[in-house]
Amino acid sequence: MENDNIIYDPEQPVTEPEQTGKTEVEEAVLSEEKKSFWKRLQDNKKLFGILHRLFFILIGILIPFIIFLFAIYTVPALQEIPTGGKTRLVNSEELKQSASYKKQIILMKKDIDRLNIKYNNYTTGQSYVVINTTDNFFYLYKNKKLIRSGHCSTGSYMMLKTEEGRSWVFKTPKGKRSIQGKTTHPYWHRSDWSYIEEGSPVPPKDDPSRYEYGVLGDYSMSIGDGYMIHGTIYKRFLGMPVTHGCVRLNDEDLDAVFHTLNIGSKVYIF
Amino acid sequence: MGTENENNPNFRKTLVITLTSIIGAVLVYFSVMCILAPVRKLQEINEKYTFQPDAKNKIDERIYSDSAYLKLLKEKSFLQSRIAMAESDSIYVTVNIPDSTIDLEICGVVVHSTKIQKMSISNIIKSGNEYIISSMLSKPFSIDNSFSTIPKEPLMIKMAPKDTSEYIPDVVPDTAYHEPVNYVLEMSNGTRIFVYQAEFPHPGDKMHLFKFDMKYRLQDAFNALKRILVFKVPDYHPFIKIRIPMADAKIIYRALPVHGQISVYR
Repeated sequence: MENDNIIYDPEQPVTEPEQTGKTEVEEAVLSEEKKSFWKRLQDNKKLFGILHRLFFILIGILIPFIIFLFAIYTVPALQEIPTGGKTRLVNSEELKQSASYKKQIILMKKDIDRLNIKYNNYTTGQSYVVINTTDNFFYLYKNKKLIRSGHCSTGSYMMLKTEEGRSWVFKTPKGKRSIQGKTTHPYWHRSDWSYIEEGSPVPPKDDPSRYEYGVLGDYSMSIGDGYMIHGTIYKRFLGMPVTHGCVRLNDEDLDAVFHTLNIGSKVYIF
Repeated sequence: MGTENENNPNFRKTLVITLTSIIGAVLVYFSVMCILAPVRKLQEINEKYTFQPDAKNKIDERIYSDSAYLKLLKEKSFLQSRIAMAESDSIYVTVNIPDSTIDLEICGVVVHSTKIQKMSISNIIKSGNEYIISSMLSKPFSIDNSFSTIPKEPLMIKMAPKDTSEYIPDVVPDTAYHEPVNYVLEMSNGTRIFVYQAEFPHPGDKMHLFKFDMKYRLQDAFNALKRILVFKVPDYHPFIKIRIPMADAKIIYRALPVHGQISVYR
């Protein structure tokens, strides 16, 4: 009502510019509208009730969510706040001049030299080959330098099972092995699994049908437990895990590996 | 009566205040206990690896804060750890934090190396007492458990055909098959090494990583809650989180034995 007086009383002195007067009027109208909106909302009990419940539902969802985020993100972050246990490094000249300090440093350096020599002795100076079974790649080293690398094929990780309960896992063994034998023009003495895998009857142990020539390439190198590094007639499969555990190389790579490695040379498979 | 109470604004107000206070108190209690966990772990490590004063050979203890001595000690610890692993005749991993590299080694020979693209380290390992942490790292960590998005050995089972008519020649493996590579290696001393793929070539990779990380965080929070409910300080696990290329992450995981060893140089 006061506002009405201000607006409509012609005798009221005009102290403010006209524009400000208009803003006040607008504000007053807006405030009245707001009041009336709340009043109307409160009067509409149904709508108010719905909004009220919605608000509490939202809060009910938000609070557990915030607690959840707090427990799994904020708390671990709080755990990483520095605790002040960090060593304050010193460079005391007085300490460095003391005989006991010098003795300790000399002892430590001697220990490190001894350990370094010991560790370097593990790295063989001989030629060796590294086989990566995940990527099916090989690396040939001579005098600790990489001289050749390329694709190979390693175990397929296939588990062959028979109804009788026999099973074989075709995987290349990992770790350190060594060349135990070298053969030129090797032949393949087929194992039982190679017949079982095809559904063929398994012949007796020394049956001539078990011997196959020309399928292992020009050379083969035994790495123990029946596993070999050899050539292949399935060159399109190089770079893929398709073998029964042996390592297959193409003809040129096989030639290089065969003529670089000696009996006893290390084969590192990972 | 119940309805009267529920409609009473004072009752509602009291209920809200009480509930808020209880939730607040539980959160504060949970946070305090969780914050105490690393402090307690640090105490455990300090007790286990602290220097033992030698009565015969008295050493000026200031040497354990000398930068030159500590640098040599770190080098010696790393070598000791690597030698211990090389002698075990197994495949192992070395994490070199200053150089940001991870090496896969077999009997002292580095067979694979990769650059760490991103890394975050637990405060205990990063800025704990230099002498004590170096002593702790002088022995390799052994893997107790591992959780991964990829299998250790991707075995495929094939039943033998009854006769040649049933035989199907092996098909070429699907090299285009994509699987995200993220894993956690839990060490016997409580340390955890998180290895995540650095790149996200497929749209779902980020979501996979988020789910993997969330699952692990939830497991941790749940374990902490279980301990806190019986008024015990939860376990704290120092961690090293690293991001390396996906192919390298896969190689390392597949190459490491189930209970393989890891050495850390910091």
